Amino acid sequence: MNRRLRNALKGITEPDAERRRRAMEPFVRATFETFIRFLYRYLGNEVECEDVLEDVYADIWENPDRLRNVTGEKQLLRTVYLYYMRKRLRQVYSRMNRYLSLSQRDMKNLMAPELGVLEMMSQSELQQNLRRTLNKLKARERRAIELWMTGFSNRAIANELKTTVGAVKMLIFRTIIKLKQMMRDYTDED
Amino acid sequence: MPDTKREIQELLVDYAGALRDGCVPTFLKSLEREEAHRIASSQQFQDAAEITRVLNGVGFAEKAATPNVGLFISRVDAKISSRLKKARASSRGRRRTGARSIDQIEKRTEKSI
Repeated sequence: MNRRLRNALKGITEPDAERRRRAMEPFVRATFETFIRFLYRYLGNEVECEDVLEDVYADIWENPDRLRNVTGEKQLLRTVYLYYMRKRLRQVYSRMNRYLSLSQRDMKNLMAPELGVLEMMSQSELQQNLRRTLNKLKARERRAIELWMTGFSNRAIANELKTTVGAVKMLIFRTIIKLKQMMRDYTDED
Repeated sequence: MPDTKREIQELLVDYAGALRDGCVPTFLKSLEREEAHRIASSQQFQDAAEITRVLNGVGFAEKAATPNVGLFISRVDAKISSRLKKARASSRGRRRTGARSIDQIEKRTEKSI
């Protein structure tokens, strides 16, 4: 953990609320990028990410006890996700849950799940892992995923690969399952 | 008309698309009871959803427009001060409704006299 973040963490775990409030600025500066990118994985929407993160920081200010014994960046992200972000993520979706067919518990599992090994990797580790894995895929599978990641719709991918939308959906699904297995294998190797 | 009774692979691709485009609520609303049940009971879906989040993080989180940090800090500070105000107001309210000390009661009565 770098010194800036360590000092910021020390500040926000002070018992005095006014001091904690002053310490929020360096803490937000040190963590904002990491937290907002992490939240983006679950929401895919910048505006919602900001709203959730605002509440997360305020919650941290109000009750920073969970962060008292944090020593590393990964541990910080994990703790913040489990004790602060997850609660807020659940609230985002449970607000609309009465109109849905999913039960409250299934909704929680889908939208704010337990952390998997992959989800705990840093952005650069994930990029590296994903690049390695994509290179191992068949050309057609890799093309489908790359197009999808560029923002193509299923119809556009189908046109590009000269196939049907149904076949594209099947191809992406199978490739994602394959990616999961390959990335898990790489993680185990590491 | 919505595409009803989708198979698990279609559901996953639709979820991935919704996550990528930032419209998960629309996807959730589109779920039929049977589809919701299918999602809940499929371990394959849960596994694939993890990868979808990873792809979303790697592919799009970098490109997402992040707000100005300075501006965001002032939003957080405003949130904190509103919570502080609420906490103070509620403690004042509690004090008002709670039992008063004899000194306070005496002072009040002296003033009114």
